[in-house]
Amino acid sequence: MTTWFWIVMAPVLGGLVYGGERVLRARMQRRQGPPLLQPFYDMFKLMDKRTLVIHSAHALLGVVHFLVLWITVGAIFFGWNLLYIVFLHLFALIVLVIAGYSVRSVFSQIGANRELLALVAYEPVLLLVTVGFYLYAGSFYIGDILHHSGYLSQMPLLFLALLVILPIKVKKSPFDVVEGHQEIVGGVEVEYSGFFFEFLYMARFLEYIFIYSFVFLFGGADYWLGALLVIGTFILVNLVDNATARVRAADMVKISYLLALLLAGINIVWMLT
Amino acid sequence: MPGAMLLILLPIVATLLLRWFRSEKMQYILLATTVVLLSATALKLYFGSAVLTFHFPHWLELFIVIADLLLLLYFLWQGRRFDRRIITLLAVIQLLLYGWAESVLPEEGGAEVVVDALSTFMFLIINIVGGIIVVYAVRYMSYEEISEEKKRLFIAYLLLFLSVMNAVVVSNSLLLFFFLFEMTTLASYLLIGFRGDETAQKNALKALWMNQIGGVVILLGTLCAIYGYDTTRFDALTGSVGGTLLLCVSLVSMAALVKGASIPFDGWLLGAMVAPTPVSAILHSATMVKIAPWLILKLSPALGGTGVGLLLSTFGGFVFVAASYLALSRTVFKEILGYSTIALLGLMMALAAIGTPETSILTMVLIFFHALSKAMLFMTAGVVEKLHHLKDIEDMKGLIETAPKSARFILFGFVSLTLPPFGLFIVKLFAIEEVSHMLPDHPGLFLLLLSILIGSTLLVLLYFKVTAAILSRPSDIVGLGHEAMPSGFLLPLAILAVLVVFTTIRLAAVQQVADLTLFFVPIAMLVLAPLAYRWMDRFDRVKCYHCGEKESFDAALYYYEPTPKIRVAIYTFFTLLFVSVALTGALS
Repeated sequence: MTTWFWIVMAPVLGGLVYGGERVLRARMQRRQGPPLLQPFYDMFKLMDKRTLVIHSAHALLGVVHFLVLWITVGAIFFGWNLLYIVFLHLFALIVLVIAGYSVRSVFSQIGANRELLALVAYEPVLLLVTVGFYLYAGSFYIGDILHHSGYLSQMPLLFLALLVILPIKVKKSPFDVVEGHQEIVGGVEVEYSGFFFEFLYMARFLEYIFIYSFVFLFGGADYWLGALLVIGTFILVNLVDNATARVRAADMVKISYLLALLLAGINIVWMLT
Repeated sequence: MPGAMLLILLPIVATLLLRWFRSEKMQYILLATTVVLLSATALKLYFGSAVLTFHFPHWLELFIVIADLLLLLYFLWQGRRFDRRIITLLAVIQLLLYGWAESVLPEEGGAEVVVDALSTFMFLIINIVGGIIVVYAVRYMSYEEISEEKKRLFIAYLLLFLSVMNAVVVSNSLLLFFFLFEMTTLASYLLIGFRGDETAQKNALKALWMNQIGGVVILLGTLCAIYGYDTTRFDALTGSVGGTLLLCVSLVSMAALVKGASIPFDGWLLGAMVAPTPVSAILHSATMVKIAPWLILKLSPALGGTGVGLLLSTFGGFVFVAASYLALSRTVFKEILGYSTIALLGLMMALAAIGTPETSILTMVLIFFHALSKAMLFMTAGVVEKLHHLKDIEDMKGLIETAPKSARFILFGFVSLTLPPFGLFIVKLFAIEEVSHMLPDHPGLFLLLLSILIGSTLLVLLYFKVTAAILSRPSDIVGLGHEAMPSGFLLPLAILAVLVVFTTIRLAAVQQVADLTLFFVPIAMLVLAPLAYRWMDRFDRVKCYHCGEKESFDAALYYYEPTPKIRVAIYTFFTLLFVSVALTGALS
């Protein structure tokens, strides 16, 4: 029952994380920043706005993207097969990419293309991390993975690899080309407004939960360690975000492959010997 | 045996009857009857699952020897005729090797023909998918500007080809397999050159000499088997132990790499795209190239767990990645499909070469779903080419508006190749699980695992890049256009689509993994989304955001072109890898 409660509340939880992040970033820059609940105020404001639609399929695909992500997060809370979860997430992403491509908008299409490039950059690493968990815990199921501990000592490089690709998923510098507000005005998001934009806005909260779950898993049976890792990573990612500039999309793929994939690969080979 | 006999003879009978079936309606009746009979027989054999063997009478053996000699002489003549020294040279080498093999042929029992579970499974693909394509070809050829005679000849080629393929998958003798392998090479050569123009001729010759290399290595493998083990039978060879076994097996399996158009041999399959589309569908995607994974599966008892097996797996994995990458620079739709076929064939061979029962089943399921989806995609490419005169993805922008039916088939094809819950996706998922499972005992498979992960995402990028072109619409104020698709096109495509859905559900049901049902939810949402279209009318429509620009501009598709240096590096690397297959076989 509690699991269902958390699944239903997942977008709210994600919203709080997102709000907290904005506060944190503001503090890092010595700004006042928005209140913690700002994401929710934004949502109420969005609901009030006149909704404009390019075409039905485009708008509805945004909703489907959100729903599939929600199912993905639900599957995480239920402790299901991590490999399946990564692919469910892939499905959600492809829906968004199709949506982005379905309108003849330059920004949306470039955004969708970068969304795919980002996928090429992080997906293999994410899957290798999953395989790493499997090799250590002997199971792909999150429930089983959380029964073991000592992941950090066995998979330190995989953790580093995850840290490298994490900014891609939460769209933070140096890997925020997907969104690139200053150049492609939000990419896929730009053609959504009002009611339908809300779903995309909430989808971002769910993405946070999705990717930080991987960080949490490194704590294993020790939930406090997991929580600590999540908080530490959270602060680190925002520090990096404040301190770096955006790299080009092609460089994102290169960095991911030459650094993250290499680290992950070395760790897996090391685990095998 | 009568079932398998029927599968080989019936297409030949239909070919002979075709002379008297001049009108289109009559041709449809003849072909539909043939295909239904073939499919029913294939299904019956598949579910019958008894192993049947057949020993050739002497006259049949003699007939095959003569036919083989004529075939090789024909290749020799083609080499002389078009002044291609390499073809002449390879034909001479094959003649010498073949003569040598025949002169030292051991007297042995054992059957030349064995119909086992693998053969009956291949029958399903050859006869059902291949059959559908033959029926489709009637409508397709009606758009070609050639004489009725020549159109019928084309259909006849395709039918004969089905017969040859049915024979390939039951052959248990290396020399019989060599003959049939050369017959499929002949089929490629004739069908690629069918249109007779300069490019067609050039590409046909390229396909010829590349595939001849396959013939040479089979003969070398046969000689190795004769001298080492006194046999030319697949089952006797793979059942032996020690000695030069791995050398024989690695030589024969190199033929699979050639037939599967693995890099560095990708050129012939790409060139084959100039042929009429049913050829691409039947030869170069759905059936003929499947000889490659079939051959590896056949040899897998001897390959599993050996250095050669591991090398072939890694080779296949690398091809999966490299071909997906090379496809990203292509603009012609059929070439993109061709490269993705090469990539997936690489994956099939990689899985087959691992050689455990689980990976063998995965390979077979992969072969099956790939045949369905790729046949559908190639046939749609043909429809778009004939009805809308489009070949290049750059020209296909907004296809969903001008040709909604074709566009949907293409989209469905891509989705069924990459996304859950479709069969191909499930195989990739299980492959990752299986390889991860084997990893602790076989660390060498790590490179394959890495290749599967990277290659899969590259293919996603490829397919959805093409999707970008097809989908982009300015607005839905003006509805989708109406596309009149003749039923000669629509029906075969629809049957394939239904087969994909039906077999996917069956696959998921057989697996009994509860989590798999989870994958059906997202796709159900996508399918049901259009129900909400009416409700969407309440929202106002708007044009796309152009950031204040007055002039209209359009996003371009992205291409990722390797520099010439990288290209040379890729081909050199794969050539070395190809040679090292034989070397590993010789050394281990």
